[in-house]
Amino acid sequence: METLSEKPGTRNVSVTPKPPKKRKQGMWQSIVQQKYLYLMSLPFVIWLFVFNYLPIWGWTMAFQNYKPSKSFSEQKWVGMKNFVDLFQDERFYLVLRNTLAMSLMGLIFGFIVPIFFAVFLNELRGSIFKRTVQTVSYLPHFVSWVVVGGIITKMLSIDGGIVNELLLSLHIINEPIQFMAEGKWFWGIVTASDIWKETGWNAIIYLAAITGIDKELYEASRVDGAGRFRQIWNITLPGIRTTISVLLIMSIGHLIGIGFEKQFQLQNALVKDYSEVLDLYALNYGINISRFSYGTAISMFTSVVSIILLLTANGIMKKTTKESIM
Amino acid sequence: MSWKSPKAFAAILLASTLLVGGCGNSGNDKNNAAGNTGNSGNTQNEQKAEDTSPVTFTFFGADASPNWNNMKDDVGKVITEKTGVTLDAEYDVGSGGGQSKIALMAASGDVPDIIFAKNEIGKLIDAGLVLDLTDLIEEHAPNIKKVIGENMNRLKYSNEDPAIYQITTNVGVDQQNFDAGGGFEIQQRVLKELGYPKVRTVQDFENVLKQYMEKNPTTDGQPNIPLTLNADDWRIMITVTNPAFIATGAPDDGEYFVDPQTYEAKLHYKRPEEKEYFRWLNHMYNEGLLDKDTFVQKDDQYKAKIASGRVLGLIDQEWGYQDAENALKTAGKDESTYAHFPVTLSEDYEDHSFQTAGLDGYGIAITTECKDPVRAIKFIDWLASDEGQVLRMWGVEGKHYTVDENGTRVVPADIQDRKVNDSTNFTKESGIGQYRVLAPFYGDGVKDSTGNYYTTNFPDQIVAGYTEAEKETLKAYNATTWKDLFPAEDAFPAKEWGALYNMPVPTDGDYQVIFQKTQDIIRKRIPEAVLAKTTDFDKVYDAFLVELDKAGAEKMEAEYTELVKKRVSLFTGKEVK
Repeated sequence: METLSEKPGTRNVSVTPKPPKKRKQGMWQSIVQQKYLYLMSLPFVIWLFVFNYLPIWGWTMAFQNYKPSKSFSEQKWVGMKNFVDLFQDERFYLVLRNTLAMSLMGLIFGFIVPIFFAVFLNELRGSIFKRTVQTVSYLPHFVSWVVVGGIITKMLSIDGGIVNELLLSLHIINEPIQFMAEGKWFWGIVTASDIWKETGWNAIIYLAAITGIDKELYEASRVDGAGRFRQIWNITLPGIRTTISVLLIMSIGHLIGIGFEKQFQLQNALVKDYSEVLDLYALNYGINISRFSYGTAISMFTSVVSIILLLTANGIMKKTTKESIM
Repeated sequence: MSWKSPKAFAAILLASTLLVGGCGNSGNDKNNAAGNTGNSGNTQNEQKAEDTSPVTFTFFGADASPNWNNMKDDVGKVITEKTGVTLDAEYDVGSGGGQSKIALMAASGDVPDIIFAKNEIGKLIDAGLVLDLTDLIEEHAPNIKKVIGENMNRLKYSNEDPAIYQITTNVGVDQQNFDAGGGFEIQQRVLKELGYPKVRTVQDFENVLKQYMEKNPTTDGQPNIPLTLNADDWRIMITVTNPAFIATGAPDDGEYFVDPQTYEAKLHYKRPEEKEYFRWLNHMYNEGLLDKDTFVQKDDQYKAKIASGRVLGLIDQEWGYQDAENALKTAGKDESTYAHFPVTLSEDYEDHSFQTAGLDGYGIAITTECKDPVRAIKFIDWLASDEGQVLRMWGVEGKHYTVDENGTRVVPADIQDRKVNDSTNFTKESGIGQYRVLAPFYGDGVKDSTGNYYTTNFPDQIVAGYTEAEKETLKAYNATTWKDLFPAEDAFPAKEWGALYNMPVPTDGDYQVIFQKTQDIIRKRIPEAVLAKTTDFDKVYDAFLVELDKAGAEKMEAEYTELVKKRVSLFTGKEVK
């Protein structure tokens, strides 16, 4: 990750010692030179191999009609059948649409809001107030989705839910709205609750990057007559640009694997066509009915798409901004 | 990217982390722990001075049993003394079920002598590790034969393999229920204010809620809710869809309705009378009597509403809202607890809640590893004797119960108090309840030769548990228990196909997928139909039925019908076409 940051004045410059000679000398020479570093990283490489590479063996299940009681050699091989079934199922496309819609909305808002939050929080004077706001804002991160699901449903309820009460008392609406029963509201509700829960937490990394910016830069710009917004635009934002790019690339990589907790907690029968995401589909149509192979096929699809997205995003960023994570 | 740079290496590592992170989300296991077993035991019966030399059998129970005390309890000591048998028992941990443990046993062949394997018995049978008990029972087990009686056919495994691998021990033979916890519920205060009106049909039910609502729109300043249901996940079956067959006089066969003449199975939603039930729900919604939150609220919100005392009516099973009702009792709002009525769509139908499925359940098995199967079956047989059953259920005479001058078994007050308030320690010391699954037994409501019940559950105890408000309502309806209001077990023949939820369905092929698809459709379309405009109801419901068939419901029903027919012919010995 040494290309992360080459900007002067930022402190997250890579600490890896630069190889004293040119790369042309090849990998072996540099390995010999840095043998202790390599030795030190060995345990982690082994850990990674055991827990992240060996399990890929399980993908063989996707090409079998897997039965847990049989040994590997007794399993029946079915070729691409599970994938054919998957791509022929109408529900799969519906579920894919929901997954992409919710993760794109999450990416756009869940990515921008914390940056704004961090930048503006940084501009606040009075460190006690600032710290209090920061702490309060990241506390929801520790609340489990089970609880959040309950709170949101209650808040949006028509039986004394605070949102409807508020809207009614402001005369914006005449009748309470059944928010949770409308499919078209669901994506928005999920995105909004995610922002409420995660903004403070996601802002921490930006706040840390901002503290890394050299204070002299601000002083110098003030001497030159730059106002608050000019400072934000010309110093703060460029200062955290590398952090932003890295996080953006990573979240694009996770675009299709958005988990299922939120949707699982907030869904109900009426909005199922909008709430079911890939992971829930894998649960309902795979594991819960003992179709382990089908579930594996879905996971394989997710993983491959994730890698493609990651590499694409990385490539584009590399071309356009010269920043990348590999 | 170049393979020569360390950067590329790092990139691969990162990519791989993502990869595995991406596919690691599916490890969710669902435990279908159907059928629960308690345990217990006690007796004295004489065995014809048979071999009582000390012997130890190993045993595995697929339900967790944290209070197991290695037979050092009172009941265990008596059992060992009478039979010479000591059990070296192991139980499953956690929520039980034994899936992984028994899969391992099947793979390794390392099984205990005696096993209670629940749903997993099939794995052991397939691995050839379970003994056929047919001859052993015939030759050595008169008590088991007596208890099981006419139900012997129901122990057989399948038509292809009519061996008896297990003796049902998780449900009592001829079990009767003493109380009703289902039906349609109305608060006691509503009934009292309206002078205990007759509640027999959905129309009566609706009128009661409507009349009370007109007179008393609020409770404690908050609006009353005439009727609310709970559609959170599987609870939709209990409060929304199952009542459709309950109110139209069909027994509970899960998602299916089985024609008792032809044994044709179909999704119960296809019965025309059920459409009328859902039409009534639709009417309730459009009248404003059905809570608008019904299909949106979560389980906890549902219970919170009930606990606030402002929900006038429910259609649920008592275990579904027990917590909330307990909260009402604790808060001293007795009058807001619920009465149960066998409400049906019209008086042409009868509530079939108590139609019995007959003996059908999990049981005890002897394995091929057992060195002395005759001794083992004799041990089980002794536990199934009257002496053995009373010992297992009541405990040791003179210690856990006494016999009064009329020959009635009585549990002393201090023991009863410990059973309720110190049950863990009491179970460990006495062993009552620990030996239940080891041998068959008679269910609640069956009396032995001395005129006492075999089990310790009987009507007097049920009544003692009612609140004053409940007793008042029951008195007004001339009943002692809620069950008195319902048609009793003997009003219906036992179902020839047993409990269909116990029937294994094929795990291969399309059956499961189609079933899941139809479930998705049902849980989406039924709420839609109920919430539709009155004029749209027919359209929505008919489209729902068409959608079911489009998803393959007919194929699934045909497959299920075959299974039901096989089961009937197995259980009854009848030839079924």
